[in-house]
Amino acid sequence: MAQYYPGTSQVAENRRKYTNPDVELEVLREISDEDVVKLLGHRAPGEEYKSVHPPLDELDEPDDIIREIVEPIDGAKAGDRVRYIQFVDSMYFAPAQPFLRARSYVYRYRGIDTGTLSGRQIIEARERDLERISKEILENEYFDTARTGIRGSGVHGHSLRLDENGLMFDMLRRQVLNKETGNVEMVKDQIGHELDEPVVLGEPLDEETLRAKTTIYRCDGEAYKDDEDAVTVLRQIHVTRSQFGYNPEY
Amino acid sequence: MDIEIFPHRILGTDTTEKVLNDIESLDSVKRTVIQGPRLPPQDEIDRIYGDRRIIVVNGEEVELKVKTGRIFVELYDESGIEEIRSICDEHIDTGFDINTSKSQYIRKQRTVTDGLKYGENTEIPDELVGIADTRSKFKDHVSILKRDTLE
Repeated sequence: MAQYYPGTSQVAENRRKYTNPDVELEVLREISDEDVVKLLGHRAPGEEYKSVHPPLDELDEPDDIIREIVEPIDGAKAGDRVRYIQFVDSMYFAPAQPFLRARSYVYRYRGIDTGTLSGRQIIEARERDLERISKEILENEYFDTARTGIRGSGVHGHSLRLDENGLMFDMLRRQVLNKETGNVEMVKDQIGHELDEPVVLGEPLDEETLRAKTTIYRCDGEAYKDDEDAVTVLRQIHVTRSQFGYNPEY
Repeated sequence: MDIEIFPHRILGTDTTEKVLNDIESLDSVKRTVIQGPRLPPQDEIDRIYGDRRIIVVNGEEVELKVKTGRIFVELYDESGIEEIRSICDEHIDTGFDINTSKSQYIRKQRTVTDGLKYGENTEIPDELVGIADTRSKFKDHVSILKRDTLE
């Protein structure tokens, strides 16, 4: 059985849940395909996918055993461009966080490349696959409308204090709270170009739900040092790495 | 003595108005400064979704220019701290700290910047020292009625 993450706390349990591709994540909201295209900002809704090479069927590729074993993803078959979506996760009990995203993406999705920084996490894939993956991530537990930001640029804010209404700071004001409906709306696409019509993302999750779903250890939530199992495994990795270069005999 | 109220979240306009009104009504309070990130530019998004409005503190209209990240309060004596704590308990439901570790949070001396901004020989009243926005621009203080244009 695959061992995804050690620990006995709820946070560790959540980390295992996201990382295990056999677990189906709860769908929390519905965002239409057209809205996903709009907020990605890579092409206009309805516009054809631009391509960087002819479809693979039309290409005369050299014989290669790997090409026979690995089934190409749809975007690669069609020759799509590689595009991206980038998320910023607030430190204040956001459901996901960058390193968890990287680990779980590579377990869950094929044909992607991820880049991880302290506050943001980018995922790159062929355009049509990216749209499929983005829709999935935006609709399920990976995403909270207030604590997670879709930000291609101007990403600052993951470690800042939240606004009183629970929203994470965003210098470009892409995700804003509509006070009348209580929904978070996206008024700009991920790099800050204004949209004609706002995309309604839905209500933010309440504090209790976020604390139950979070994958972030915090001393005002579940502290890492209290999760003895996780600390023991981490220490063991650290010692074997530092002293023995991961030699399994030690 | 000075204290700093440090809310765990950036306060919205309504809460700021309530807290300021209650703090200003206390006898032990000498003066109050709010500090924080600037409000976003006034545009269409701000008009629909923004939190900007003119608040009324002690009957006077005040235009908020920043979001309330911290509130510095200068007190005549320590007795006001508990009253301020109960005011914050009442209005700030997302948590706050009251810091008293520094001897002063509001600047009391005139600086070179004050001299440059208001003139070396101008006497600034003591109660105004330290409460002006140090990063404010010249145009915020001066109304330019007509610009010279170079032909």
